[in-house]
Amino acid sequence: MRNGAEILKLGTLTLVWWCIIFGAVWAACYIVGILIPMALTSYESDAARMTAETCRALTPILSVLVFIPINAMFMVLFERRGLAIFTVRLGPNRVGPDGYLQTAADAVKLLFKEDITPRGADAFMFTLAPIVFFAPSIFGAMPLLAAVTNYHELFQIANLPTGIFFILAASSVPVVGIVMGGWASNNKYSLVGGLRSAAQAISYEIPLVLSLVTVCLMAGTLDVVQIAKQQSGGILNWNIFGGGALRGLDQAISLKFSSSAPALQELSKSSFEQVLKSVYLEPTAQALGLGAGQEGLAGIIAAFAVVLLIGSIWIAYGLYMTGACAEINRIPFDLPEAESELVSGYNTEYSGIKFAIFFLAEFTNLFIVASIAAVMFFGGGDCPVPAWLGTALGGPQIASVINQALTPLIEIKLVDPPTLFATIWVILKVYSIVFFAVLIRGTLPRFRIDQLMDFGWKRLIPLSLIVFVLVVYAREFVNVHVGT
Amino acid sequence: MLALSLVTRAKDSLYQICRGLKTVAMHTFREPITQVYPDKMPDTNIRGRLALAVNPETSEHLCISCRQCERVCPDKCIEITAHKSPETNKLELIEFKIDHGLCMFCGLCAEVCPTSCIINTNDFEMSEYSREALVYDLRKLTLSQEESRYYFDRKEIPLPKPKPAKAAPAAAGAAKPAAAGKPEEAKSESEAKVADAKAADAKDAKEVKQADEPEKQTAAPEEKEETENKEGSDKSKD
Amino acid sequence: MATDTEVDLTPRLKTDEMLINMGPQHPATHGVLRLILTLDGEIVRHTEPILGHLHRAQEWQGQNRTWFQYQALIDRVDYLSGMFTSWAMARAAEVVDGCEVPERAEYLRVMVSEMNRITSHLLWLGTYLIDLGAMFGFPFYPFREREKLLELFEEIAGQRMMFNYIRIGGVMRNPKDAWLSKLKRFTEEFPDRVDEYEAIVTQNPIFLKRTKGVGILRKELGMDYGITGPSIRASGVNLDLRRTKPYSVYPKLKFDVPLNDRDGDTFDRYIFRIREMRESNEIIKQCLDMLPQGEISGKKQIAGLRVKAGEGFAAVESPRGTLGCYIISNGSDRAYRIKWRNPSFCNLSILPELLKNHPIADVMAIFGSIDVILPDVDR
Repeated sequence: MRNGAEILKLGTLTLVWWCIIFGAVWAACYIVGILIPMALTSYESDAARMTAETCRALTPILSVLVFIPINAMFMVLFERRGLAIFTVRLGPNRVGPDGYLQTAADAVKLLFKEDITPRGADAFMFTLAPIVFFAPSIFGAMPLLAAVTNYHELFQIANLPTGIFFILAASSVPVVGIVMGGWASNNKYSLVGGLRSAAQAISYEIPLVLSLVTVCLMAGTLDVVQIAKQQSGGILNWNIFGGGALRGLDQAISLKFSSSAPALQELSKSSFEQVLKSVYLEPTAQALGLGAGQEGLAGIIAAFAVVLLIGSIWIAYGLYMTGACAEINRIPFDLPEAESELVSGYNTEYSGIKFAIFFLAEFTNLFIVASIAAVMFFGGGDCPVPAWLGTALGGPQIASVINQALTPLIEIKLVDPPTLFATIWVILKVYSIVFFAVLIRGTLPRFRIDQLMDFGWKRLIPLSLIVFVLVVYAREFVNVHVGT
Repeated sequence: MLALSLVTRAKDSLYQICRGLKTVAMHTFREPITQVYPDKMPDTNIRGRLALAVNPETSEHLCISCRQCERVCPDKCIEITAHKSPETNKLELIEFKIDHGLCMFCGLCAEVCPTSCIINTNDFEMSEYSREALVYDLRKLTLSQEESRYYFDRKEIPLPKPKPAKAAPAAAGAAKPAAAGKPEEAKSESEAKVADAKAADAKDAKEVKQADEPEKQTAAPEEKEETENKEGSDKSKD
Repeated sequence: MATDTEVDLTPRLKTDEMLINMGPQHPATHGVLRLILTLDGEIVRHTEPILGHLHRAQEWQGQNRTWFQYQALIDRVDYLSGMFTSWAMARAAEVVDGCEVPERAEYLRVMVSEMNRITSHLLWLGTYLIDLGAMFGFPFYPFREREKLLELFEEIAGQRMMFNYIRIGGVMRNPKDAWLSKLKRFTEEFPDRVDEYEAIVTQNPIFLKRTKGVGILRKELGMDYGITGPSIRASGVNLDLRRTKPYSVYPKLKFDVPLNDRDGDTFDRYIFRIREMRESNEIIKQCLDMLPQGEISGKKQIAGLRVKAGEGFAAVESPRGTLGCYIISNGSDRAYRIKWRNPSFCNLSILPELLKNHPIADVMAIFGSIDVILPDVDR
C-alpha cells in the first residue's frame, strides 16, 4: 500500500462531499416538507392547509433539484481523482482544501464564460438543446426517489405504478437534445456527432430495455418501489442473485441460525431440509407434474433452474451496463463526442453555461443509470447483510443504539432511521457502480460506429432475447419472490 | 458450432477486458509519480535561464566582454555594450542584455565562454507580463556570490583563477579583500592550477585573436567595484 | 482485397458527398496537418493532405548558420527524436570531413539514440491510444516511463527534448557513473512495463477490432511510396539501416529486426513498434556492458567548427524510418547546401491511399499508426 495516503484522501473527500450533498438535500426537504407544513397547520385555514400540502408535494422535486447540481459536481471530482489514482497521479488538489472545491470552481468558471452562439446556427434550437438534454434527467429520476428512500411518506408521491417504464421513457428523450444540438450548431462535426448519437441510442436502448424487462418479469411488476421491496432481506434476495431464487436457502439458513440450542439441532436439521424441499422441490415437481419418488429428478431440475436463473440475470446485468454506457455516451461508447474523430461531437460549438448544462446532464445520467442498476439488481436501499447474519453480528443492538442516539432528531422528524440507512446503502451501491465505470473509462478504447452497430444489433439484442426466454422458462421451476 | 465459437470468443474477450481492467486497477497501489511542483521544486539539470556568474571567491565579475557568446548565439539574443577604458586601455563591460524571449536555451554561449561567466542556471520560472520584461540587463543577469558558487559546484566547473591584484583599478579596495582572503588564496592555489589548465584548454577552443587580449583584462564596472568593497569589508568583520 | 471491416455501401445507397476539413486545429492530427476529406456518409472517398503549416526553413537555416550553431537547431526538425536528426547530420558531416569518431562516442551515440527511440515510441503509443479513444487512463503509463528517460536526457544533455548532444565528431558530454547505473536500472524494469502495456492493450477485443484489417499497407505499394521504418517492416520489407546498411557500432550488437510475413495492417504496425522498444532496450543493455573508455569527440567543439570541402550523404534509422542528410561543404564554417530526407514526409504521402474507403473513425487510427510527426514533415 504505497499509495495509502492518496486512497485515504479520496475516501475522505468522498465522505465529506456525501455529507455536503446529503446535508443540503436533507435540509431542503426538512424545511419544505416538514417545517413549513408544521408551521402552517397552526393556522387551521383551508388556504394554509393547501399550501402545506403543496409544500409536501413539492418536496421530491425540490430534493432532486438540490441534489443534481451538487452531486454532478462531486461526481466530476470523484472521477478525476479516481482516474488520477489509476494513472499514478494525484489529480486536482489545489482549489480549496486538497482540491475539494475544484469542480465548484470549474462550474463557476463555466457560468461566467461568454456564451457564444456560432454564426449560422439556429439560435432557438441551439439554446433549447441543452435544456432538452438535461430536463428528462430531473423528472426521470423521480420514481427512483421513492424506491431509495425506503417508502418515506414524503417521497411516496413520486412513485408510479409503471415506474420503470416511465424512467426508461424519460431516459430516451435526451437523445433528441443531442440531435438538436448537433443540427443547430451549423457544424459538420456536430451534425455527425448528433446523428451518431441517435443511431446509437436506438440500437442500445433495445438490449437495455430487454434486460430490465427481464428483471420486471421476475418481479412481476413495473413498480420500482415494489421491485425494491421484494428484494429486502439481504444479499441473497437481490435480483442479481436470481431475484429470490435463493430465498429458500436464505430461509433455511436463518432457521438453522435461530435454533442454536443443542436440543433443537436435530429438529432444525430436519426443518432445514424441509424448507429447502418446500421451496424448491415441490413447486418444481408440481410444475413438471412429477409424482412422488421422482424427487431426485425434480431436485436436479430445480438446482439447474436456479443456476440458470442466476447466470441469466448476471448476463442481463452485463447487458444493462453495456446498454447504459452506450445510452449515456461513456467510453467505450462515447462516439457522439469522439474527440479524435469529431473534435467534440455534438457539443463542439457549445461554451459557457450551455456546455455546463451538457456536462451536468452527462454525469447526472451516469448517476441515474447507476441508481437504476442499484434498485433493479442490487436491492435498492436494502442492507446487503442477510438478517440471520446480521443478528449474529449484533445488528439489532447496533440499530437500537443508533436509534437511541438519534432520538431527539427523530422526535423533531429530522431523521427517519430506515430512510437514512436506505439512503446510505443506495449511495454506496451507486458509487461502487460509478467507480467501476471510472475504471472502464480508464482502460478501454472506443468502438468504431459500424462495429458499435454490429455489436449492438448482432450480439447484444439476440443475447438479451435469449436471456429473456431463459428467464421465462427458469422462472417456471423456481419460486421467485415467494410470499411478497 | 457457430454458437459455441461465439461463446468462446465472448469468453476470451471478456477475459482480456478483465485482464486490462485488473492491470489498471492494480495501479491504484502504486506510488503516484506526480511531483507537486510549487511545493516541491524539481531538481532539474536543464539549461535554464542564462546568468552571469561572478568569481565565487572574490566576487569579481567574470565577464571580459570578449563577445564570443554574442557571436555564437544562433538567435542573436545577446547584446553586449563595452568600451575601451581610456586609463587601462582595456575593454570595460557597460551593459549586457539577453532577450530571454528570443533565447532557445541551446547553451552554446555557455559552451564558448572563456571564463565560464555566462552559464545556464536551472531556473525556469521566468514568466512575465510583457515581452520587454524578458530582456534581462546586467543587474538582473548577474548572480550573487553564493549562487555562483552553487552553480560552479553543481556544474563542476573549475574555479576561475583570481585576477592579479595589481590589475585591479582601485588598489585600496582590492587590498582589503586580499588581506582578508589570504589563507584562502593559499588554499586555492592547487585549484587555480586546474583553472589554469582549463583556461589554456579553453583558449584553444576559441578564435584565438579575440580571446587572447581580453584574457589579460580586468574590467569590472564601477558599481561592481562598490559591491566588492562592501563584501570585502563584510568579510573582514567576520 | 475487401475485408470484413471495410464498409462499402455504394452500389445500393448513393448520398451526396460531404467535404470536411480536418485540422490544422483538430485535437488528433498530431500537430498542424490539414486533411480535406471527401466523405460519403462516414466513408472517406478522397483525402488531400495539406502541408506546410510548420515550415521553418530548416534547410535554408543550415546554410546561414555556422555548423556549430546549426547543430543546436536540428533537434527541432523532429522534436521527438532529436538524437537521430543530430546523428544524421553529424554522420553526413563526418563523411564529408573524414574525421574519426572515438569508439566510446559511438557507443554513447547508439545508447542515447536507442533511448530516444524508446521515448519516441512511447509517446506514439500513448497518443495512438488517445486516437483510438482510450484517453483517460492508459496514455499516462507510457508517459511515465518516457519521463524517466527524459530525466536521464536532461542530466546528460541538459535538455529534455532539444538535446544538442550528438556533435560532429563525437558527443557533447561524458556520462557520469550514476547516470549509467540509473540507465541500467531503467533497462531492467522496462520490459515489465511493456508487458503491462500489452496486458492492457494488445489483446483487448475493442483494440483488435479497431486495428486488425484496418489500413492494410501492401508491400509493393509501400515500396513505391518510399515508406520506411517500422511501418514498412510491418509490411514485410527488410529495411532497417542498422542491419541492411550497418553504421556505427551496430554490427557489434546483437538485436533482432522484427519482420512481418504478410501485408501489415494497423495492428501490425502497433505490435512492431512494441517489439522494437524491447529490442532497443536490449541494445542499451549491451551498450552499457560494452561501453569502452576513451575520448568522446574526434573534433574540437569550437565556435568556428569547420568541415572540409566536399559532399556526402548519410542516413540513420530513426524511429520513423530512414532519416537522411545530404551535405555540400565548401570548407567554410557553414554548409553550402543541406538537404534532409525526412521519413515522416515520405510516410505521410501514402495516407490518401490508406484512408480510401475507410470510415472517418479510422482516419485517426490509420494516421496515428504510420507515426508521422508534423515538424518532421514540414521541416
